[in-house]
Amino acid sequence: MIFRKSTKKKIVLSLWLLSFFIVLGVLLYCLYLSILIDTRFSGRRWGIPSKVYSDSTLLFPGQKVNQSLLINKLRRLEYRNVAHAPESSGEMRRGEAFVELYLRDLEMPAKRQKGFPVKIAFRNQEIESIIRKDNGAALPILELEPEKIMLFFGPERQQRQLVSIDRVPKHLIHAVLAAEDSRFFEHHGFDIRSILRAIYINIRHGTIRQGGSTLTQQLAKSYFLTPERTFARKIKELLMALTMEIKYRKHVIFEIYLNEIYLGQKGSVSINGVGEAAFFYFGKPVENLSLAEAATMAGLIKSPGLYSPYVSEAKSREHRNKVLHDMERLGYITRTQMDGASQEPVKTVGFTAYGKKAPYFVDYVSKQLPTLYSQKILSSQGLSLYTTLDSQVQEAAENALERGLARLEKTHPSLKRSHPEGKLQGVIIVMQPKTGYILAMVGGRDYSATQFNRATQARRQPGSAIKPFVYLSGLDQFTPATELSNEQKTYDVDGKSWKPHGKSSDSGKGIRMRDALARSDNLATVDLAMKVGLDRIVDTVKAFQFSTPVKPQPSLALGAYEVIPLELARAYCTFASDGVEPYPLSLKTLVDENGNVLEQRHMTIQNIISPAKAYVMSDMMRSVVTEGTAKSAKNMGITFPVAGKTGTTNEYRDAWFVGYTPDVLVLVWVGFDNGESVSAEGAVAALPIWADLIRAIPQYISGEWFTMPPGVVKEKVCSQSGQLAVERGCPEPFEEVFLEGNVPAEYCQIPEHRAYSGEVLKTWWKKLWRR
Amino acid sequence: MEAKKIRLWVSYFICFILSGCAAVASSPARHPAKTPSDARIEKKESREAKPRPREVASLHLTEQGQMLLESGKVDEAIGVLERAVSIYPSNGKNYYYLAEAWLRKGNVAQAREWNRLAGMYLAGDSEWSPRVYEQRGRLHVQNR
Repeated sequence: MIFRKSTKKKIVLSLWLLSFFIVLGVLLYCLYLSILIDTRFSGRRWGIPSKVYSDSTLLFPGQKVNQSLLINKLRRLEYRNVAHAPESSGEMRRGEAFVELYLRDLEMPAKRQKGFPVKIAFRNQEIESIIRKDNGAALPILELEPEKIMLFFGPERQQRQLVSIDRVPKHLIHAVLAAEDSRFFEHHGFDIRSILRAIYINIRHGTIRQGGSTLTQQLAKSYFLTPERTFARKIKELLMALTMEIKYRKHVIFEIYLNEIYLGQKGSVSINGVGEAAFFYFGKPVENLSLAEAATMAGLIKSPGLYSPYVSEAKSREHRNKVLHDMERLGYITRTQMDGASQEPVKTVGFTAYGKKAPYFVDYVSKQLPTLYSQKILSSQGLSLYTTLDSQVQEAAENALERGLARLEKTHPSLKRSHPEGKLQGVIIVMQPKTGYILAMVGGRDYSATQFNRATQARRQPGSAIKPFVYLSGLDQFTPATELSNEQKTYDVDGKSWKPHGKSSDSGKGIRMRDALARSDNLATVDLAMKVGLDRIVDTVKAFQFSTPVKPQPSLALGAYEVIPLELARAYCTFASDGVEPYPLSLKTLVDENGNVLEQRHMTIQNIISPAKAYVMSDMMRSVVTEGTAKSAKNMGITFPVAGKTGTTNEYRDAWFVGYTPDVLVLVWVGFDNGESVSAEGAVAALPIWADLIRAIPQYISGEWFTMPPGVVKEKVCSQSGQLAVERGCPEPFEEVFLEGNVPAEYCQIPEHRAYSGEVLKTWWKKLWRR
Repeated sequence: MEAKKIRLWVSYFICFILSGCAAVASSPARHPAKTPSDARIEKKESREAKPRPREVASLHLTEQGQMLLESGKVDEAIGVLERAVSIYPSNGKNYYYLAEAWLRKGNVAQAREWNRLAGMYLAGDSEWSPRVYEQRGRLHVQNR
């Protein structure tokens, strides 16, 4: 008996001890969970992808526009077409000669502006006026918000916009409660009544129709746990929910829940949280959701894949009405409200799946970031990167390159390649010469086939596109009117004989420097290079900050060395910007998620040559387009003043055209990655692409030419002697630009031309005053 | 000395001859007579006395940049002035304010580059030229 009594006692004791240890274990486990929850909740709760933005777009009356590019831009900015005059942010109405917008709030690092309605009227491909519709004011300038061009996603590929619970409208809160957990504010994370009800309903219907999880349990599951359905995971979920409820207040849990829940799929990216979903489905901030929209969104939580209005509008509407019914049953809304909202159609705004726009440019921008910003930081810290990209120009550049290469393959079938990686390639770089802004960059034909950025990574021979730097080197000694020898010669270079390749249209007759550059005469260029000295040419090239090595070899004058396309574009900018070389700018501002500026970059310039030399070079390169190798440009619709230079390398491995105006510079390169021949010169392969692009961006074409700076003079020159022309004496005088200190000193000395004594007197007079 | 004397005598002689002329005979022009296209250009130029639309837009941004600069927001000012340059590169006032902004940032080298451009574009402007020279003076002092 004693034994039995003591055994019983021992059993009871053991049970007590066991219970104690179980409770202790559970408490310790809860403590562990509590630490886990604290760590997550007190730190960064979600990884927010960083965003890359284009530059904002400036519109002003009198500006030329490509309406189709502008409308495409507005579409990408997710302005949605409406039939009525725009009444709320993000709406757009198009007419035959106008577009009306309700601008979104502009939130940029240096500018904040509330959205307002505006009407942009067009006339003859120009903006006629910009009128604020709310007060009738005519605006001198209008700024459209920057365009999101890429998001740096982490491996989870989630997109969310965080919202505080104060911004969430009451009817959305009630809709979520009605749809998911109407007793949320009464239970402590675990609701036995919900579970019993779910069991009853599921048994009655013979299928799983309802879950018993509270919002807190759902949050624990989605935020901390893996999706597998095991008993152990269910226990963990329960304990976690209880711990959360003990540690945090209801509204905190509810706010985290609203930001965490999965609400749909945008391509490969999941839409999480009501803030992002409000934009994804209805194109508006969460606070502006109507009752019907809020109910639709709450109805999605159960199964976004099934009830998404993008998947099935009918199912979405049916489920929305069920939520509305529950809201009415629970007393959140009146019957009239329910009836009204139930009648509304489910209207969505449509979406474009996230894609990497301007991919080569974005890669280049990423490389500009300090090493401090790793991929992990970019995919989680919600930074904003504001860039110089003009998405309209980028679109035009991508189209021009694709069209141009396809056209070349059609006219030259031998250029076609079946393998995507072996296809004919191209580069387009568009820069603003004065600011150094990179407006567009296409580093290849198809980013998905090859991510090698030919604009910034390729090293290609420039061919004749290097010649302006040779001619520039000679400007101190010679003038555009100087006659160069275009005789086929053999040169002695460091004891070795070298004979330049190339033909000259009038070989042996001599050619003026301007014409030699315009016609890209190899023999005359080599003659000039030899007279100037190779070392001097090397010094000139180095002054333009090319990073590729350059050696004083005679073939340098013909472009037989390598350059990086972006560096060549940058160097040409110097001619278009009064002799100052800009730094090629792509990233302007880096801002953290609270709007604090982390990095700010400005245009910086460096004086390389005098404004006078830059002007003379531009003037000479204008002849390339009017009467030289690129004269076909005028048949391509280029009727405004342009300076440029073609380039073709040996065996037609590379075809170039770099052309510019005072406002914009475009470089085009065409070639194969493996150096195969493109069977066409720069004027045939690259120039049409250039012309196609430049015609598409009238907003950058003012039609103006450079202002003649101090230090440049225009004089009439005799076409035969290259000396100052004698009026009515020299038969074919022409006007030429000269550096002030380099004007021919003498009037024409050809006796037949000097017959007119008046000019002789003038020469005597001039000489007298110069003495 | 000899050359100077000759110049002086020749000048007196020409003045004397010209003063006696009742009407100036048409002298052979060095440049060809005006063509209808030149007349069109002149007409166009007179129309262009009215500021170009992009000039107006650029000036609007120049004013914004100036105000930002005055309120001490130097980086924001530079950002706005960059856009003003991009719209109308011949607006020399932008370069003046850019020089001012870089000077405030303590980057005298950049300020000098912008001042040089301002000097070039505002050369014929009687109001702005003195300001550009005054700025150049300050830059000179800073550089010492």
